[in-house]
Amino acid sequence: MRNRLRERVAISGVGCSRFGDLLKTPELAGLSIQELTARAVREALDDAGVTGQDVDAVFAGNAMVHSSQVPGTYSQLSKWTGTQFRAGVHFEAQCSTTNVGASLAAAAIAAGVYDTVLVYGVETTRTKVKGYSPYEREPISHQQTWLWTDMAVNQAYGVPQGYDIFSTYNGLVALGYCRKYGLSIEDFDRSMFELCRTRRLHGSMNPKANIQETLEARASRGGYSDAYDYWRSDEHNPFVAWPSRLLSLVTTADGASAMVLTRAELAKSGKSQPVELKGFGMSYSDLPWYGEDPTYWEFDRRAIDAAFDMAGIKPADIDYLHTHDCSHISGICTAETIGYLEAGKGLQAARDGRLRFDGDRPMSTHGGRHAFGHAWGASAGTDTYEAVLQMRGRAGARQIAKVPEISVIHTHGYAMIGTVIVLGAL
Amino acid sequence: MLDTPAQPSALRAYYEGLSKGVFQGIVCKGCGHHTFPPTGCCEHCGSWDVAPVNLSGEATLLYATHNITPACHPRFEKIAPYVYGHLRLKEGPIVQAIILGVEATPAALRTLFERGPVPAKAETLRTEDLSVIAFRVAN
Repeated sequence: MRNRLRERVAISGVGCSRFGDLLKTPELAGLSIQELTARAVREALDDAGVTGQDVDAVFAGNAMVHSSQVPGTYSQLSKWTGTQFRAGVHFEAQCSTTNVGASLAAAAIAAGVYDTVLVYGVETTRTKVKGYSPYEREPISHQQTWLWTDMAVNQAYGVPQGYDIFSTYNGLVALGYCRKYGLSIEDFDRSMFELCRTRRLHGSMNPKANIQETLEARASRGGYSDAYDYWRSDEHNPFVAWPSRLLSLVTTADGASAMVLTRAELAKSGKSQPVELKGFGMSYSDLPWYGEDPTYWEFDRRAIDAAFDMAGIKPADIDYLHTHDCSHISGICTAETIGYLEAGKGLQAARDGRLRFDGDRPMSTHGGRHAFGHAWGASAGTDTYEAVLQMRGRAGARQIAKVPEISVIHTHGYAMIGTVIVLGAL
Repeated sequence: MLDTPAQPSALRAYYEGLSKGVFQGIVCKGCGHHTFPPTGCCEHCGSWDVAPVNLSGEATLLYATHNITPACHPRFEKIAPYVYGHLRLKEGPIVQAIILGVEATPAALRTLFERGPVPAKAETLRTEDLSVIAFRVAN
């Protein structure tokens, strides 16, 4: 594998909807899935200074077709996004969808096939089509969400025999981490509290986040003067896979994201400050995702190595990192595998506030999967959206003081494709 | 019954084997490694030259946690919350499965965690529509 881009590729525009609920969230309530998608696409096209007719190809991402009911997304959304008569495909890599799309777009541009590609992702994990209505939606039950989502997991042997995401992604990894590094369960719990505090602080500073309430404010609203007492209450924060609690997990959301990729030379004359996509790496694995050591995931190692090799960077070069954090402990393990955090010290870094936007190891400043929320096929694009804002110095109150020059975005597409992209100042 | 004779299926054979208390995998004639549960191809070297093999069911339970209620899959609603574990089989493969013989409570799971890796033995767990594998930990 040569693992090289033959031409420099840039992200010239990014867009992202508010994440939330199409039935309840003020900025989203009443929107159709077509209009939800169009909001993100319009923002990305406007950001790049182009229209849908200026792009050569459209990679349209949507994973959970059961709730969206828009297969053939490229054509069904074409008149809503102004992209009629482009080349296009509907694809999915679950929760890595949009960044896999960005990687494939970069490969197509660097190969000389296309000059400009629009990538978007849309997902509704909170609401589904109501009956046969073209516009009415209704809530999805918790069990239905996971039954549909888990269709991306081993349907031969895993799911039929009791596979459970909360156990596999959280509890077992947490226990592996505690045993490997001699961490007590009590220290683990306190660290998870501090990490959640950081994520929700970031969410509270992001007007597009699903949850914009700090953990302290939520605790106070529940009658707790000490947020850690709230954290440890079985009523508000039960164990979902001991020793992992509910608030260390993803929150579901409806949402959409989009980005425009183009040849770097074209991007330099664009409307907004472009960011170079310097490299990418992908590697997938069926269950089990790890061997005897639940903190080490071989497919992530391979994706990281490929992306860093293509981009020509080392861990010490990273200024900003997002790792997939459906499971907070898994996200820490990945950051340690990447080398951004010292092995076995990631939770201490969280407790010391080093992962905050104003810390020396900033991570997931949009709020991550817990506070920003998770709309499977749209979420990787939100991670990239945040990185681009940070690299432009336009992240508002949560802006990292030293504007990042190198950002790394890692995502897990169920179940599982480790995807890593490296962004650099152009 | 199908009118047309069914082709051999490793997937169907695995579940039919479970209903009889047999734990089927495959072994690669090239690299010698086991793939469990069985497919038609070695997961280690990609060879198609594989043979069915019955595994011992002996395992070491490395870690155990629990799931949520209601279970993510309706098949397991009646037994949720259940204990779910990470195991190494005697023949080498790593598997995750339902664990029997341990309560799905933080106290019981903490006691188990503090014991460290413990022996476990595979058995068949019969649900309403499917026999599935589970592992029992000796007290």
